[in-house]
Amino acid sequence: MIALYVVAAIAVFAAIRATVERNTGRKLPYVNVMNFAVAGALVLLLDHPLSLVAAAAYFVGSTLEANAIASTYAGGGRRE
Amino acid sequence: MLGEILHILAAAIISWILFVTVDILFRLPEAGGVSGASAVARDIEAGGGALAGGIMMGNIVCSPDASAGTLLAACGVYVAGIPGGLAAAVLVFIGNRICHDPGYAGTTGAVLATFVVYGFTQVGFAATDFIAGMVIAILTIQGLSHAHASRLLARLWRVRQ
Repeated sequence: MIALYVVAAIAVFAAIRATVERNTGRKLPYVNVMNFAVAGALVLLLDHPLSLVAAAAYFVGSTLEANAIASTYAGGGRRE
Repeated sequence: MLGEILHILAAAIISWILFVTVDILFRLPEAGGVSGASAVARDIEAGGGALAGGIMMGNIVCSPDASAGTLLAACGVYVAGIPGGLAAAVLVFIGNRICHDPGYAGTTGAVLATFVVYGFTQVGFAATDFIAGMVIAILTIQGLSHAHASRLLARLWRVRQ
């Protein structure tokens, strides 16, 4: 039970820091921590084998979003 | 209650060592996998951090690495034991390919973490301790001080070189 409270508190803390941070490049690692915490909380709340798939889908999806935001922020991908 | 808190803290230290070691062995601080990772690194360096550490942090943001592998493997072991952890490794592998990441740090981290987490569940730890522990471990790298975390990672990367 304590694990769930720890994870939830970290999610809130990371969300607040991401909101307060002005620089986009430095904002994304805070969002990353929030995604870790939300994925962990999902599995802790729903103790079912399929919740692993839900957590992985959420985590990979949010990572891909962060990847897209960071790449757009960098000026788009350049093919070499 | 106190025992569970101590278990979570111990799990955080074990997860931290595991994912930082795997990421550095897989050369994550060397180059940005995608242009976005380099942009995050540049901003962290501008904020007083070290470039190599920033690149590793950018790579963690942009693709599931060993830290994500450790978290999902702990989740997998919690819901379904060793098969669950190995299923998490497959999901991380798919996630890497979706995120345009050619590396295997995430998959390797997930497979290693599956056995580490399972091993510790045999000696009194719960898999939930590792879920919370891994979230604390990633908080120390990505969520407290980017400048300090990136300098520490850069120092470890120099040792690796």
